[in-house]
Amino acid sequence: MSEPSGDMRALIEQIAKALVDTPDQVFVNQVEEDQISVLELEVAESDMGRVIGRSGRTAKAMRSLLAAAELKFGKHYELEILE
Amino acid sequence: MAIPDKIGAANEINELLSGIVKHGGLRLKYRITVDPPMAEERDWERPEILVEFSGPDSPLLLGRGAELLRAIELLAIEMLRLPGNEHEKVCFDCMNHRSMRLEELRIAASVAAEKVRKSGAPYQFAPMSSRERRIVHLALRDHADLRTESQGDGLRRYVVVYPSDYKGTSPRPPGRTIP
Repeated sequence: MSEPSGDMRALIEQIAKALVDTPDQVFVNQVEEDQISVLELEVAESDMGRVIGRSGRTAKAMRSLLAAAELKFGKHYELEILE
Repeated sequence: MAIPDKIGAANEINELLSGIVKHGGLRLKYRITVDPPMAEERDWERPEILVEFSGPDSPLLLGRGAELLRAIELLAIEMLRLPGNEHEKVCFDCMNHRSMRLEELRIAASVAAEKVRKSGAPYQFAPMSSRERRIVHLALRDHADLRTESQGDGLRRYVVVYPSDYKGTSPRPPGRTIP
């Protein structure tokens, strides 16, 4: 069995869609900058609170997943939630 | 109150996790149990949905105080829109981490109780999640000579143990922390 490789864009998209009220307004764009992959997450304005969470807990949890991916695949990811 | 549709909730969790495992490239398996039988010593937590992970990437879930395991648990709880007082009804575990952590907290609580008795001064724990603070409060609830309070805000909230007759006003207890 070959080592699995990740698709962090799809990962964040799926999680965000599960969290929000209007999943068809979830978009994730992956932008490569130097050594970093930036994942830009866009959701409906009314769903901002759903992806950020109380004291930013939900966004922090998504970033923990990206940090794990960095440990595993040696690639640095950043999550940006677009206003 | 119980989770209204446990089977539906378990299916939603399964869908979320299969995506996280696949897209995250994680070598993990998981088992979801509805209304799991719990061992005697776990009587402070009665999860209605238990998720147990196993596989080669288990250490990744458990590193840094099980940060990733807690993160995935939180995402599942948020997805299900459980109110704060029902978070403990969903429990994510891996290699019995949860019961070991419970035991650690109980030991830390009894060490803190002894310190407060000997010194007469309050004792401040490190910041913890609401679930972990609850365990510390419960561990000390039968000690009539002590009282416990949660202080601080948001992610920095922590438990303080006081002698029950402590008169000082909101002190800065010594910065020692366990665990």
